[in-house]
Amino acid sequence: MSDASAHTTLNRGFRATKQRHPFAIGFWILGGLRVVAVLSVLVFALFPIIWVLSASFNPGGSMSSQTIIPQNVDSVQELFTNYNQLFNDPQVPFWRWVGNSLLVSGISSTLIVLIAAISAYAFSRFRFRFLRSLLLSIFLVQVFPNTLAMVAIYLMLLQLGKYVPALGLNTYGGLIMIYLGGGMALNIWLMKGFFDTVPREIDESAMVDGATNLQIYWWLVFPLVRPILAVVGLLAFAGTLNDFLLARVLITDRQNWTLMVGLYSFIEGQFSDRWGVFAAGALFAAVPVVILYLFLQRYIISGLTAGAVKG
Amino acid sequence: MAWVDVVGALLAVSIGSDGNWFFASTIVLTLVMLNAVMLIPSIRPMRWISPALAIIFILSLYPMFYTLYVAFTNFSDGHRATKIEAIDLLAERRFLPEGGATYQWFVFQDQAGSYALWLIDTDGNSFFARPGTAFEAVTTSTSGSEPTNAEGVPVTYGGYTLLERGARFRALSDIQSLTFGDQDNAVGVRSAEVAGAFAQQWTYDAQTDTLTDNATGTGYLANNTTGEFVARDGSTAPVGFWVGIGFDNFTRIIRTTLSQGPLFRVVVWTFAFAVIGSLSGFSVGLLIALLLNGNAIWLRVARALLIIPYAVPGLVSVLVWRGMLNANIGVIPEVLHAVFGWSPTFSTDPVWAKVAVLVVNLWFSAPYFMLIGSGALQGIPAVMYEAAQVDGANRWEQFWQITLPLVLVSLGPLIIASIIFNFNNFFIMEGLFQGGPPMAGTSAPPVGHTDNLISYTYRLAFSTGGTKDYGLASAMGVIIFLIVGVMTMVQFHLMRTWEQVSENV
Repeated sequence: MSDASAHTTLNRGFRATKQRHPFAIGFWILGGLRVVAVLSVLVFALFPIIWVLSASFNPGGSMSSQTIIPQNVDSVQELFTNYNQLFNDPQVPFWRWVGNSLLVSGISSTLIVLIAAISAYAFSRFRFRFLRSLLLSIFLVQVFPNTLAMVAIYLMLLQLGKYVPALGLNTYGGLIMIYLGGGMALNIWLMKGFFDTVPREIDESAMVDGATNLQIYWWLVFPLVRPILAVVGLLAFAGTLNDFLLARVLITDRQNWTLMVGLYSFIEGQFSDRWGVFAAGALFAAVPVVILYLFLQRYIISGLTAGAVKG
Repeated sequence: MAWVDVVGALLAVSIGSDGNWFFASTIVLTLVMLNAVMLIPSIRPMRWISPALAIIFILSLYPMFYTLYVAFTNFSDGHRATKIEAIDLLAERRFLPEGGATYQWFVFQDQAGSYALWLIDTDGNSFFARPGTAFEAVTTSTSGSEPTNAEGVPVTYGGYTLLERGARFRALSDIQSLTFGDQDNAVGVRSAEVAGAFAQQWTYDAQTDTLTDNATGTGYLANNTTGEFVARDGSTAPVGFWVGIGFDNFTRIIRTTLSQGPLFRVVVWTFAFAVIGSLSGFSVGLLIALLLNGNAIWLRVARALLIIPYAVPGLVSVLVWRGMLNANIGVIPEVLHAVFGWSPTFSTDPVWAKVAVLVVNLWFSAPYFMLIGSGALQGIPAVMYEAAQVDGANRWEQFWQITLPLVLVSLGPLIIASIIFNFNNFFIMEGLFQGGPPMAGTSAPPVGHTDNLISYTYRLAFSTGGTKDYGLASAMGVIIFLIVGVMTMVQFHLMRTWEQVSENV
């Protein structure tokens, strides 16, 4: 799909122009316009990010006093005022929140990948009746706005917690369980699209050799679909890491908060004097995810489009 | 499997015995489904899907049906409990009747932190009262053989220690909610000085279906269609109860929408935002993808950089935008002032608030469409452009005849998915302006100019200001679900068509 030959020929238009009139004014104007356009796109896209970055180094801490380049800074230490507060203030259980988030997101995304993968395999390989309608109904059920189901989910955890304490309110078990439900249909769909690209002949030859479905799945198909598993896993990980609404409603104890809920507590009121601390924490949370995205970009793009074209 | 059955069945029975039949039957249904899949050979392939199905049953289907059920009730603040629960709730309320006994009180606390009271009645008799057990007659010490306070109350008694001054004052907030003594003789702390014997304030008579307020002697007759206890003068008891009210919530929504009131404007904005937001995101994203298409290193770097907005946690970016748009301290109004000498107040101007929402949405969605758009662009076979050049098509024609149709084929379903997503885009509406600015003449909760259906519904159900009306909110949720459901079916249908088209390409 993304082979280089298609790529180069696609740009033949540009190249052709170049070869014909290497010094034409029109070419330089067009090229210049393109550079300007790209730059303005980048400014629009990155300005908020730069703004957070600068906020995190502004020792003043409040948004009104913020300048892009921190001013009135006397020492390097002062630059890191916000980070220092975030990491070392005994009043802020920051590392606890980070740990909570990693735990919850790690377990949720692993389970999501495992469960979605076996379902996707079945949808991709087995021919049984109502397959398409089953998938459609799963999709339909999941477009129900989650924001609204919150009352029901809250009451459900309240009730469950009475008998299974590990799945009650204010527990990681309960939160993880709720995360499993979100986006299941979409994940199955993405994976199914990718599973479909794995040639069926592989299965069939193994079947002839007497392998069971489970063996085929585990030893043959699973290794082949690792890229999409990584993508779905990463998307699920980032999705649960960034979730705010559910975590805020379901986890009540400050010690048990996830990172996003904790960060939000810094600026809950107005953009008061903890804006800088929020910015520092936000960057801290965003940087690993952004780096992962940059590295897995290729896979993510193919993952995002895989489910779309293939039925 | 048998093990799962046993645990599940136990859970269902215990939850069912709590009166939540709805949840219990969901668990039973899930169990039946799991068993069927395991035991009936013809649907055995379903085994692979059963974990996902079980999750969807419990986590998606149950909340959905629960919401559907609530949509037909008056579940809201003041109508949260069933009739029996409401009566029980009121029966717990105590009041200090005229002529009831009053006591001077002293508070004790034991090692475990539980409280007890030392009470001295008006005749000078002393009692020691723990929560839940009968009074214990005790005597104040006058001999001076053991340490006492000024009133002759011992400093320690039966493992409890007397709390005085600051400690007593700090304990006050804890013990005010407690009842000391047993059912027959209950005492509670009324003020910093006085404890009083309580009597049950509300009594319910099942025969006449009437609730009586013993403090005033008023009788409240239960109205089982509105879920309230109503007195003869029309006043209602402080707690109502939960009853089915049929289609009332739905008719209320439809009526207010048809009357072209605030709700109508919310509906229009919801659709407008979903379509404009998605299409603008797609167009700009594709434009950027075309702009950045190529192998030059600076183009590749630019493409990589543009993934950052997509990867940054949404909560963080939406809050940053909110701060940047803030009229007093935000950087955007500041810059606009500096350049044009004028800037709109985004959070209070209905039109500019919408513009801001759309622009911020562009920031969120364009990088996404750029990402998948450049993937789609690279997937277009080069042969097509060569053929077009042979036929003498210029670049403009090539774009409209080749690039756009082919990109639409592969991204069409994702555009529709984006419209569906934006229809329910709660995050940006709530995050940026909390749905505001509020429309004139709406209150509790106010309807905002940038409210879409989902954010308005959220406010109905969870607003901290006005009364929470879960029934109405659930009815809205059901309507939203119907609309989005239809859109999803259309998407599915289109995808099928698209598949056939893309196979022919």
